[in-house]
Amino acid sequence: MNPEAPAPSEQGDDASIDSECLNFIRDVRQRVGTVVVGQDVVVERLLISLFTGGHLLLQGVPGLAKTLLVSTLSRTIDLHFARIQFTVDLLPSDIVGSEILDQRTNDFRIHKGPIFTNLLLADEINRAAPKVQSALLEAMQERKVTIGNETFRLPTPFLVIATQNPIEQSGTFELPEAQLDRFMLCHRLDYPTPEEEKEVLKRNIALGVRREDRGAVARTEFDVLDGGPVATTEALVRVMEAVHKVYVSDTFTDHVVEVVKRTRTHPALELGASPRAGIALVKGARARALIHGRHYVIPEDLFALAEDVLLHRIRLSYEALAEGLTGPDVLREILGPLGGRAAAPEAALANGHAH
Amino acid sequence: MIMIHRSTTIAVALFAAFGSSRAESPAASTNSTVGMPARIDQLVIPGTELEVKPIEDRREPLILRIVDAFPHGSAFRYNLVYYALEPGEYDLRKYLRRKDGSELGEVPAIAVRVTPTLAAGQIQPHSLQLEPSPPMGGYRFLIAVGASLWLAGLTYILMRGRRTAASRRVEAARPITLGERLKPLVGAAIDGTLDDSGRAELERLLIGYWRDRLGLQGERPAVALAAMRANPEAGPLLRGLEDWLHRPDFDPKARGEELAALLRPYLNADETIPAHEGEPAQVVAGGTS
Repeated sequence: MNPEAPAPSEQGDDASIDSECLNFIRDVRQRVGTVVVGQDVVVERLLISLFTGGHLLLQGVPGLAKTLLVSTLSRTIDLHFARIQFTVDLLPSDIVGSEILDQRTNDFRIHKGPIFTNLLLADEINRAAPKVQSALLEAMQERKVTIGNETFRLPTPFLVIATQNPIEQSGTFELPEAQLDRFMLCHRLDYPTPEEEKEVLKRNIALGVRREDRGAVARTEFDVLDGGPVATTEALVRVMEAVHKVYVSDTFTDHVVEVVKRTRTHPALELGASPRAGIALVKGARARALIHGRHYVIPEDLFALAEDVLLHRIRLSYEALAEGLTGPDVLREILGPLGGRAAAPEAALANGHAH
Repeated sequence: MIMIHRSTTIAVALFAAFGSSRAESPAASTNSTVGMPARIDQLVIPGTELEVKPIEDRREPLILRIVDAFPHGSAFRYNLVYYALEPGEYDLRKYLRRKDGSELGEVPAIAVRVTPTLAAGQIQPHSLQLEPSPPMGGYRFLIAVGASLWLAGLTYILMRGRRTAASRRVEAARPITLGERLKPLVGAAIDGTLDDSGRAELERLLIGYWRDRLGLQGERPAVALAAMRANPEAGPLLRGLEDWLHRPDFDPKARGEELAALLRPYLNADETIPAHEGEPAQVVAGGTS
């Protein structure tokens, strides 16, 4: 069992939380679980992003059911879903839309792009040219786009879930730190456990074929989800409101400030976390607390989300890279002092990590 | 010199105006100073051509030279230059002779006066003034001394900096005991006087303490904390801290003693926290395990 996944006994144990919120979360997880095996943590991160309005970047090799997960989530909550496969020849107008000359009326007509949706899956975002990335990220930040002379607000809720393949780096344009900072969370997907993978195979074996017209096609996991959504957008809005009622203690705020501060002073880091990282930690922790049936945040929320919030916002120095340090190593050191390790520069010096 | 020239010219002019009788006995008399050359121009001396006698005595006080000699009727006209090394009155005739070896005969006296510029009776030169001697060793020596001083200063600064850094390292390497850090925080927490930042630090210390006790330093933070919460010893403490520090509805009056009981074992914790990450703790805390 994944230690980050909520323990059954912990869920729904807080009477002060609206039961409708808890039901919403339970129903969505159950529904997604009928299609996607495992990936509890990814589902949790998706829900956190959805509840807080923060965008999510998923890093993982192909075939980990990223698209299936997002598609299933959109169909579970009755959200409009769109997918863009980013390629090197993609243009900003392919995403935001453009003005088209209507030859019948001789007038320009606005053609809205696929960004006008609730859930947008930007597949392999690092394959597009920087101007396309920035067009998308600008829309993510401002939640509105301008086509011609007109500005359009994006639908609400609006959530971008982007994916990156960490293996194939040729022909890609790495997202700069300023743009990565726009993503509230960056989650690194792992392969399923052997048990989960066995279950995937069993389900796939049972899919069978679907008759269409006079022929038939093999059913895929996308065909498994049938029936309407189990949750409405209105219920989602209530959960979003409930997230903002989750209590954040001064002690927790102190922990967050301390962690963010340490990323800026750690000798192995060239770039520390921005204030936006602290905000993302608090927002994410509130949503996670609600998902885990609490109306207050605890250090566990901070520890659980630290990697996803901080790792894509920090940059290791050349010296640290030369020493073979990795982002998780440094983050472990940063979170280590929370437990009393002296992380003062002198201690780092004595520890051989002075740069 | 100019004055001599002018006077001599005037004398020659007068000689020409008053006839050859006077020309045959020119009473030329000029003044000069010791060592300075003087000139007599256009002096007509009757008779055959004259020349200067060779100097036979090197102590001769006057030197005479005939610059030019021109035929002048039956006589010759001369331009003379002389200078004397001693003051006095001289007759230049004494230094002349006929080129043809005949007697000087009718050559008149050519008197000149050489006056001294030194004070009367002074025959010794001025005493020498001693000038200050140059610096010892000269420029190269000074450069070498300066470079040595600069190197000595630089060495001192570097050695002092190294000593400071080394002392800092020693200071940093000194183990910080958990007791030193926990005791005031736990005491203030039991008394109810701990402020927000102190509470946060106390929670961090205790999480770290149990992370080390359970050997979870290498685990991912989320995994480590989940393991701590599941531990039968650490779990109640961490949950108690969470209730106290993070629950908005925590009643410190009702659960104060319960909290104090959880914290009291750490009041006298004397476990040494090693300064190096991942190094095992040296001394086990008393009363907590």
